[in-house]
Amino acid sequence: MGKAFGFFKKNILLIIVLLLALVPVAGVPSYQFYIIERGLQNAIIVLSLVILLGYTGLLSLGHAGLLAVGAYTFGILTVTYGINPWIALMVAPVVAAALGALLGIPSFKLSGPFLVVTTIAFGEIVRILILNWEKLTGGPYGLGGIKSVIPSAKGMYYFLLVLVFLVSVATMRLSKSRIGLAFKAIKEDEVAAEVMGVNVRRYKLLAFTISSFMAGLSGALFACLTNYLNPDSFTFAESATYLLMVVLGGMANVVGAVASALGVTALPEVLRFMVRSRMVVYSLVLLLVIRYSKSLNMKTLRKVLGKPEGSTLGGGE
Amino acid sequence: MSLVTFVQLIIQGLNMGLIYALAALGISLIWNATSLFNFSQGDLLTIGGYVMLTAFSYLALPYPVAFLITVVVMGVAGYMLSKGYFYPMFKQNFNPQIILIGTVALSIFVRNGILLTWGPDAQTYANPFGSKAVEILGVNIMPHYIWNVVIVAVLVVALQMFLRGTVIGIAMRAVAQKPVAASLMGVKVEQMVSMTFLLSTGLAAISGLLVAPIIPLIPEMGGLLAIKAFAAVLIGGLGSFAGALVGGVIIGIAEVLFATLVVSTYKDVFIFAVLILFLLIRPGGIFKADISEKV
Repeated sequence: MGKAFGFFKKNILLIIVLLLALVPVAGVPSYQFYIIERGLQNAIIVLSLVILLGYTGLLSLGHAGLLAVGAYTFGILTVTYGINPWIALMVAPVVAAALGALLGIPSFKLSGPFLVVTTIAFGEIVRILILNWEKLTGGPYGLGGIKSVIPSAKGMYYFLLVLVFLVSVATMRLSKSRIGLAFKAIKEDEVAAEVMGVNVRRYKLLAFTISSFMAGLSGALFACLTNYLNPDSFTFAESATYLLMVVLGGMANVVGAVASALGVTALPEVLRFMVRSRMVVYSLVLLLVIRYSKSLNMKTLRKVLGKPEGSTLGGGE
Repeated sequence: MSLVTFVQLIIQGLNMGLIYALAALGISLIWNATSLFNFSQGDLLTIGGYVMLTAFSYLALPYPVAFLITVVVMGVAGYMLSKGYFYPMFKQNFNPQIILIGTVALSIFVRNGILLTWGPDAQTYANPFGSKAVEILGVNIMPHYIWNVVIVAVLVVALQMFLRGTVIGIAMRAVAQKPVAASLMGVKVEQMVSMTFLLSTGLAAISGLLVAPIIPLIPEMGGLLAIKAFAAVLIGGLGSFAGALVGGVIIGIAEVLFATLVVSTYKDVFIFAVLILFLLIRPGGIFKADISEKV
């Protein structure tokens, strides 16, 4: 039974990826194509939150800050210092991971809203520094002229798709690994985890580091896609949107996270006919999803997507 | 810097600080009653400012009437929010993290709702207390500084009297301290939680309508104000009445002093850094709320 489930789950991810692989062939208009690309890039940061929130139970509202660190590191390295984009793509996540590890330190002592406020403050500090450090970041004027790692749009799309697939599989595998089990133990009961020999501090730090690494990677890809960076793309509202994507995806569900990243990124475009009210409708939908998450309980969704990685969405006390 | 300038800065900081304190007090009230940290407080504050804008500026109602209407409208909105949205989630034993995320979603919803209703442009209304500074002992004081202090002082006293002297207030505190025991004693927990939301949103609305003549209203303003209120409530001590007030005033004064004496562009960074340090060194805040002190 377990094997059948696993097979089914893998299939679902493969089916999504294969369908997405057909997109460039189908001749989608360039703007819609760009939205799907952005959805894929968002999927990586949403998966980073799956590890942090879904697996480890740590809530971050500062991930836009980490995204910004990745994006600006990539932008500054390639534009200002003329470094090879491939090297920059590898450096950017490392820088984000280093800063994210720093952000992990408060999580030793703080939990719940205290930690959330710390992450919000972190995100805002990053944004204000970018805004005011004009020499390095271009400040409010932004940083332009960023070249992508792969110049051709189609090539970049397939590169993104492969990356999302790899990161998804890695995130799934992490869930069943020793590290993933330690994460989940911390989520369920920190004291019990400690008693069972899980080094809580080390694993919290690890969760933040892995998550920040992925956020940084997503940021670098963001820079590749937009070719222009501006502090307005990294506000609290962005962090909140990523968080809501994870919730919508089922918290610890990898396939759900990818689907919700793609769906929510496209939603404002799908609702474009409503012009001004689309963001209100969109946030109202999110409010309702949260309100009814327990009664929906992802039961139907779970049947379609396979067994979730962690506990249920509304579960726990 | 002369002493006069210094005093002037302190007064200016105190004024902003009291506005943060009101919003912070609302967060503390809800935290005590439900252990929920309301991340939408800043946006509820903003919408309060906009309701005031409509009542006072568009409908040209007299200031006290517009003030009352705003508080009542927002209070009722808070009450409905609890009845229709948050309380059912508490009752169904939702994962607290999900409810927390619900407040984040609410924040986005309110922000976009404001954008849709009132548009993206900065708006403000004439300062009802006039803009001619009064000179007291060589210190120039804007009249709204004095009025804000008076309004906040009256509110705090009234709130304390309400919470300690009336049946509803005592029932609300009972729910905050021991919800199960309170419900066994015949206190309607749902009603009291919703009343707490009413008070909290009302307080947010008042800080919103006080801040609007000082900082022009824009739909996103709630974000930054909220973090100041969070900082105030956490530095002061989450759940403590005095803590919210003291925390707010500390934030307000520290912000003005840093902006003037060091560098104004990084004043928010300074506040957030202080907040993070505070959380690391003394997570309970200055006034660690114990049961008896819970509002």
